[in-house]
Amino acid sequence: MKFFPKFAIAAMTALALVMSAPAQAAPKKEFKVAWSIYVGWMPWGYAQDHGIVKKWADKYGLKIEVVQFNDYIESINQYTAGSLDGVLSTNMDALAIPSVGGVDTTALIVGDYSNGNDAIILKDKKTLADIKGQKVNLVELSVSHYTLARALETVGLSEKDITVVNTSDADMEAAWKTPDVSAMVTWNPMVASILKDPRANSVFDSSSLPGEIQDCLVVNTDTLKDNPDFGKAMVGIWFETLALMQSGTPEAKAARESMAKASGTDLAGFEGQLKTTKMFWTPAEMVAFTGGDLVPAMDKVRNFLFTHGLLGNNAPSADVVGIEFADGKIIGDKANVKFRFNDDYMKLAADGKL
Amino acid sequence: MRRLINQQPSVLNSLLLAALPFALVLLAYAVASEARLSINPDDKLLPDWSTIEAAIIRMGFVADLRTGNFLLLEDTMASLQRLAIGVAVATVIGGLIGILQGLIPYARAMLANFTSVVAMVPPLAILPILFITFGLGELSKVVLIVVGIVPFIVRDLALRTSELPHEELIKAQTLGASTWQIILRVVLPQMLPRLIDSVRLSLGAAWLYLIAAEAIAAENGLGYRIFLMRRYLAMDVILPYVFWITFLAFTLDFILRVFQRVTFRWMYRGQA
Amino acid sequence: MSSVSVENVWKTYGRQTVLERVSFEVAPKSFVALVGPSGCGKSTFLRMLLGDEVPSKGRILIDGEPLMAEPSPERGVVFQKYSVFPHLTCLQNVMLGLEFAGAPRLGILFGRKRREAKEISRDMLQCVGLGAAENKYPSELSGGMQQRLAIAQALVKKPKILLLDEPFGALDPGIRAGVHEVLLRLWHETGMTVFMVTHDLSEAFKLGTRVIAFDRRRTRPEEAEAYGATITFDLPVHHPIPKPADVVLKEVQPIELKAAV
Repeated sequence: MKFFPKFAIAAMTALALVMSAPAQAAPKKEFKVAWSIYVGWMPWGYAQDHGIVKKWADKYGLKIEVVQFNDYIESINQYTAGSLDGVLSTNMDALAIPSVGGVDTTALIVGDYSNGNDAIILKDKKTLADIKGQKVNLVELSVSHYTLARALETVGLSEKDITVVNTSDADMEAAWKTPDVSAMVTWNPMVASILKDPRANSVFDSSSLPGEIQDCLVVNTDTLKDNPDFGKAMVGIWFETLALMQSGTPEAKAARESMAKASGTDLAGFEGQLKTTKMFWTPAEMVAFTGGDLVPAMDKVRNFLFTHGLLGNNAPSADVVGIEFADGKIIGDKANVKFRFNDDYMKLAADGKL
Repeated sequence: MRRLINQQPSVLNSLLLAALPFALVLLAYAVASEARLSINPDDKLLPDWSTIEAAIIRMGFVADLRTGNFLLLEDTMASLQRLAIGVAVATVIGGLIGILQGLIPYARAMLANFTSVVAMVPPLAILPILFITFGLGELSKVVLIVVGIVPFIVRDLALRTSELPHEELIKAQTLGASTWQIILRVVLPQMLPRLIDSVRLSLGAAWLYLIAAEAIAAENGLGYRIFLMRRYLAMDVILPYVFWITFLAFTLDFILRVFQRVTFRWMYRGQA
Repeated sequence: MSSVSVENVWKTYGRQTVLERVSFEVAPKSFVALVGPSGCGKSTFLRMLLGDEVPSKGRILIDGEPLMAEPSPERGVVFQKYSVFPHLTCLQNVMLGLEFAGAPRLGILFGRKRREAKEISRDMLQCVGLGAAENKYPSELSGGMQQRLAIAQALVKKPKILLLDEPFGALDPGIRAGVHEVLLRLWHETGMTVFMVTHDLSEAFKLGTRVIAFDRRRTRPEEAEAYGATITFDLPVHHPIPKPADVVLKEVQPIELKAAV
């Protein structure tokens, strides 16, 4: 029996070490950022594969890895658990998962907002009000759910008037083809593909919610604070890749084609999805949006999260997590600011100071 | 010093050794949780006991504000119903085909290769076909469980049936039995307890398919809740659900084992 | 009361000849003991009588009629093992043959027919000395009791022929004598024809009215495949009344016996 206590302590220590490794905030040289397939995030994959990431990392003497995750939520969970320094996420998921989970998170790049990428689609029926009484297939608690909740308000309905069926995004297209599915909320590229069905009618989309569903590169606030070069490199990578896409050269076309292919569509399909995405192609555009008044949008988002129990089960109000905007304004608990907009780095890009 | 294979732990040591791995995991969890929470008090990955306890009370003993239901109860009933129907259907289908395949040479010639091939098809990979054929509702969840475990039950039962002593089948024929009577009075009654073993072995897979089906499209259920909670890393809910599922699976297995012992006494009576 | 004719029976598996030129006649109410070294084909021959195997050449007749090519109720059987159904009690095991005949659909009798079948089966169990064990499962019985049960189960169908494949090989000598007695008594009462495969010569001579030995005539390795076993001797045994159980023949080895012939 002598053997066991030693073994126990060793095993316990090892296990504890493995399980308890949140990102330690300190100057460091190696960074890992995750992205998943989405029209507005495809440039990241291209930048990693074509040396743009390496070029900017080298410039600041860093090592940066931009890895693709097949599972969007898993990438955010990994970031929240501390194994990633940054992740591509919507503003809503970033607020609901890492920020509510106590990880102080900064939106370093607000790349775009959904301008029609998220849509409510009905089978045979033509108006949003027809959704009443139906079963609605969507990814519960996702931006689709948010889009639905906002849409229902516009026609005086609430979630009590429908039944939500949680459906995996990977199976949306197959689900649409089954006879018992009559209403669906989802995002591109599924929306584009489902709308090819003549029975499918888009009755509401996110172009009616401009600026509310943002797609951001969010990073750990402490990591950014200790490593401003990391922030600079990421912003540099982003705008160099966008500039390449917009250059009109044969290289630009090749880049777009490669992104289209990586997202499982062709150039026309990819361009179509870009049309329903409000991209901020230049640093100036991004600064204008991020520095503008985002309070109403974030307020709606946090209220949605609050009413769906996503701000924590003991949250007395939507104010439980503080949100800081680029101009320093804070909504919610000033002592517990966990989500921040930061336009410092995009301003450097706008001023050409990277 | 005797060889290790000849050393038996005492009763007390056996109990201590059995408890050790559990204690180690709990201890490791407590240490890791403590470490993470000291850095970030809002950490969701490894919540502390009081957080988990609050989640258990919230899910199990407080009616949900939106629906007025007790969520844990609702989820459990929904999942158990799907599991029960799926496993029951799979048992009947698998038992029948398995016995035929094991007993009737013509059935074996037709089915043996087919079931071996079908058993290799990962059911989760053909999910879209299941959806389009059976819809997204309860039916497709049950069908996934059935499709997932029937091949195993068929192969197991066919093997067990073919292992019946040849002498018994000859004897039954000399007593004047037809094929049908042999199935009814000789093979089926001896296969029922084996079928229960087979079902016990496939319960793990059945749970897996149930949870997979609920993750893909559902309005309630244990798998539904876990995958929904995963969307915001609510491990305080997920962990109790995982324990609950483990407990339910263990209990089902136990019930089947007791049922088998009580119902098929002939298997367990020793020599006089 | 059935006669059996075996007419020039051969059995081959592929190129391997197991039995060749087997011919003999058996009078009704005979007790034929089949002996021979292991691998000599005596069990194969019994399985042909049973209908579990088909002769490659030649034929077997019962009362002048060709044998059915699958097992049937006119031929009862007791094997060394697995002769009774483990999931049925003694009474159910014996009743089973009656139920198969009386209930073609379900194989289960109800009401008056069931009561009658129970009566017959209870009597049968009494005959083999298992009257007190009717509700026990086979796994609760000793080896000797299991073989008595197997005999009762077979005899309830009143077969013309009873086939025994080393039925007592696994029993202790003391127990074996008891079962012998039961078997001889039932044989006398029913008048059926019995074939018994055994490797125990004393048992063969004690029970049989006729002892038939199988063996290979050619044993050179290069000939082993082409030539099968056949009858090497066929010996009538006269004991008009069953021998008392205390008369035990000396064990005779097959090899000694062969030398004697």
